[in-house]
Amino acid sequence: MKLGRIIAVHSYKGGTGKTLLSLNLAASFVKRGKNICLMDLDFRAPSLATLLKIEKVECWLNDYLNGTCEIDKVLVDVSTKIHNGGKLFVGLANPATEAIRDMSAKDRKWEMRALGRLLTLRNSLLDGKGFDYLIFDTSPGLQYSSINAIVSADLVLVATTFDRSDVDGTKRMLHELYDLFEKKTELVLNKVLYDVSSKSGKEVMQTKIKDMYQVPLLGIIPCFCDVLRGEGNIIFAEERPDHPLTKMLDEIAGRIDKDIT
Amino acid sequence: MTAQEVLGKKPLQVLEKIKESLEKLNEKMEVMIELQKHDKKDVVQMLPEAPLDVMTLLSMPDHLRKTAMTLCRLGRATADEIAQQTHRARAVESAYLNQLVIMGYLKKERKGRKAYFYVDRESKGDEVG
Repeated sequence: MKLGRIIAVHSYKGGTGKTLLSLNLAASFVKRGKNICLMDLDFRAPSLATLLKIEKVECWLNDYLNGTCEIDKVLVDVSTKIHNGGKLFVGLANPATEAIRDMSAKDRKWEMRALGRLLTLRNSLLDGKGFDYLIFDTSPGLQYSSINAIVSADLVLVATTFDRSDVDGTKRMLHELYDLFEKKTELVLNKVLYDVSSKSGKEVMQTKIKDMYQVPLLGIIPCFCDVLRGEGNIIFAEERPDHPLTKMLDEIAGRIDKDIT
Repeated sequence: MTAQEVLGKKPLQVLEKIKESLEKLNEKMEVMIELQKHDKKDVVQMLPEAPLDVMTLLSMPDHLRKTAMTLCRLGRATADEIAQQTHRARAVESAYLNQLVIMGYLKKERKGRKAYFYVDRESKGDEVG
């Protein structure tokens, strides 16, 4: 029997494309027939509820981590948003200002319990409900909720850009965070300005990045104006199946699937 | 145990009791050796019942982090079960686990001859740090 896996999508800086990557990667997996559970663990700036236009839920992920409800009450079935594929469920972070304030004031003991509840998702969702992947969309940097997600994950997918402060910070995190937890880490370089049609240019860049970070490179994603034009409303795998971004994300999903199945 | 108590029991039970006591003694010695090896610096000023959160995990020495992370994942385990995951010797894991108990991060519970270690996530103890 194939075991499910947990992927944490993380980055050093904000705005590197974690949420875009998480949502569209989830959609690519679903199109491949996988059952996916996507969770918004960015409690400081929740975005999935808005992007998926879900206003009311029975329970938020905040409630699950607070221990006031079980995970079944949190999950929302959004499979109808992606046709011809597996199931897509989401767990949402509460975007209300009060909830954000509440989550940022938690103590160490609470964070320890939250880690315990995240760790049990492996049993309840991967083994119990048969999901193929849990994808955790996290807050940037060294936030408690993000590190909890990283510790719970099998694979950390790091979204990074060529911004100098992001490069330096990502390098530090590779050695001072992911390495310490002995996590399998792979990079996705996003918002790259290069000629997609040039194969040699792509190869030069791949070598450069591998030398720079010393970790496997999962993919290079160019800067697409269509992403900005979409204003966060587009699920590329569903609405733009022929877009180069869809193809790139499908390649990334394929590589992840091949590597850890 | 008094001589009268011993005489009242079957020899096999007495031997079991001795074996159990020796195991306990062995564990204590392993902890002492471990503490000596690390110059006791890890246990100085540690308060009882410290939460084992991710920031604590990050600041731990590598050898203890590996043990603590494995226990976090398993929830509750014996030194043997941890050793199977970390591919280190049972005695080594036993020493590290006992050190983590002394540091206040783990709880230990005996069931018969087996010692189980776990993270006490449900206790209502006061917040530390």
